[in-house]
Amino acid sequence: MSTENKIIYFDNAATSWPKPEPVYESLGSFLREKGANPGRSGHRMAQAAERAIDGTRNLVSSFLGVGSPERIIFTLNCTDALNIAIHGTVKKSSHVITTSLEHNSVTRVLNELRERKSVEITIIEPSEEGYIDPDNIRKSIRKNTSLIAINHGSNVTGALQDAGETALISRKKGIPFLLDAAQSAGAAPLDLGALGVSLCALPGHKGLLGPTGTGILYVSEDLEISSFRQGGTGTDSASPRHPDKYPFHLEAGTPNTSGIAALGEGIRYVADNFDSIIKREKELLGFLLEELGKTGGIRVYGPRSSEKRVGTISLNAEGWSPDDLGAVLDENFNIAVRTGLHCAPGAHRGLGTFPEGTVRVSCGPFNTEEEAEKLLSALREAVKL
Amino acid sequence: MGCGALGSRVSEELARSGCGFLRIIDRDFIELSNLQRQVLFTEKDVRDNLPKAFAARRHLEEINSGVTIEDIVDDLNYSTADKYLSGADIILDGTDNLEVRMLINDYAQKNRIPYIYGAAVSSYGNSMNIIPGRTPCLRCLFPLLPPPGEVDTCDTAGVISPIPGVIACIEAAEAIKLLSGNPGELRESLLFIDLWSGRFNTYSVKPEPGCECCAAGNYEYLTPEKGKKITTLCGRNAVQITPASGENVNFEDLREKLHPIAEVEGNKFILKFTLDGCGISVFKNGRAIIQGTSDVNRARSLYSRYIGE
Repeated sequence: MSTENKIIYFDNAATSWPKPEPVYESLGSFLREKGANPGRSGHRMAQAAERAIDGTRNLVSSFLGVGSPERIIFTLNCTDALNIAIHGTVKKSSHVITTSLEHNSVTRVLNELRERKSVEITIIEPSEEGYIDPDNIRKSIRKNTSLIAINHGSNVTGALQDAGETALISRKKGIPFLLDAAQSAGAAPLDLGALGVSLCALPGHKGLLGPTGTGILYVSEDLEISSFRQGGTGTDSASPRHPDKYPFHLEAGTPNTSGIAALGEGIRYVADNFDSIIKREKELLGFLLEELGKTGGIRVYGPRSSEKRVGTISLNAEGWSPDDLGAVLDENFNIAVRTGLHCAPGAHRGLGTFPEGTVRVSCGPFNTEEEAEKLLSALREAVKL
Repeated sequence: MGCGALGSRVSEELARSGCGFLRIIDRDFIELSNLQRQVLFTEKDVRDNLPKAFAARRHLEEINSGVTIEDIVDDLNYSTADKYLSGADIILDGTDNLEVRMLINDYAQKNRIPYIYGAAVSSYGNSMNIIPGRTPCLRCLFPLLPPPGEVDTCDTAGVISPIPGVIACIEAAEAIKLLSGNPGELRESLLFIDLWSGRFNTYSVKPEPGCECCAAGNYEYLTPEKGKKITTLCGRNAVQITPASGENVNFEDLREKLHPIAEVEGNKFILKFTLDGCGISVFKNGRAIIQGTSDVNRARSLYSRYIGE
């Protein structure tokens, strides 16, 4: 049993930890040196703050392969970005296509619209391994379909969907396509320009290694969506209406300046080390999947291979409820995992793990093989009892 | 505060004595096993599934309609303490665990409210008058909470009905002295009574010069840092309760305590048992996962009753 106090963190799908050193550094130095309100005042400190925000905006747009930084919207988190995208596109009495793999940050928003705006929803089921067949999406399109919203990397099984094919289908039909990149941003290649996605929601604090309280919405240039919240933007203040100009159209109020500046450092780190991050996560994932597959009493859900997936593994152990096992990993082995439904009940219904859920092990760029070994030995010890 | 065996009796004594205003706070509902000692309640209350505070108010209003009674069916914790305890002339103890007593003690010291401490289990009990600025406080007596699973509770060790009655009547008598304008008559010692062996002892207690509460003014139990952390688990009908102390539970002791009332299974990592329709898992540092309820107050009650502290 581990007696070290150092936590072994396998909960990167909830939020990544630790962060690269410049992220910590930036949070402190930004508040000390550039803590003014960007875009509101003309003084040098406000300009420095604005430069930092614009700097992160530029980094995001080039990281995502889109040429228009003004179409990068800073949000509170990924849920906020999804809300802005869904409420901004889905019209009254229209139809939406989504999947049973979605997080509550999509399903609950859509359910609200079903009640408030009489929206009809088609839910596509995945294959046994957790993949959505884009052809099923194509076949579900109706005349009044106003949005296709799918999860890129599953936060339960880790399955990574084929976003390109779905994007192509939606482009052909002229339907906005929203990609929820909560789990894939920073953990899988995500070239939004090449994919042709019209809307993409990303958290700043997961694979992009920024602090909590940061999120991103990308809106393609050929798509106009209605503003979600209105207020101060620092521009065009004489106008009684909220501006149409991006990014202000979808941003209102003072942004999380220090968080966004620090997010820039996180993205810089990911961009500079992208290939090695992906390689390392794949190796770790492959190792864990192989070893778990050999461990009697452990059942792994979702794709068996480390290809076409992100660094998340869902499992259950014989004789243990997921919550009990998670508590033991935490208390006796200093291993942090998440247990339960992971805010995605539909995915668990499909896996047959509802309502207890699973133990979710999610790898990040700083997890090591030694940590993976410790996790495996803890699981083996628990299963033996 | 609290309306079980102690609280229901204290409130009855005070209502009959004509105390003008009583606020009764308790999160629990009456169960059949309570009737053995909780003298205000009836089998009909159990059948009607009534909350203790609500049922107590109704019975007391029938006993003395001249008393104004307010019933609060909720948990007392750092976030509700000010709402429920502010403006009190005196706080009487009818609780069943030391953590909430520490919270009351902190609140009473901070706001200079007299607090009459009382506790009873098995055949013995304690009581002490805690008068801010005059007597030691409860934390002078108990600087630290005992580890989870260590103390006896009425549900694990049992309790004979007379002992909470005796302690409650003593609390009520002290309250009457104070409310009738005779603070000089209050007992300043710690009283210990064991009805089985017939021991009635008083101990003189001195204020601790290093007391975190009454000497240093650190009212830690009024912050989220000190009390239990309650988490409703993602999706499932379960509540996780984690004590702040992180002290290790002695699984053997706890297993023995629970042995007469439940089938306990487990291994070196976990103890599991089912009581009152809920599956309860206890882990080494006192964390518990209560399955079969998403009601935080019910989960807290089960923790106090079967694990203790």
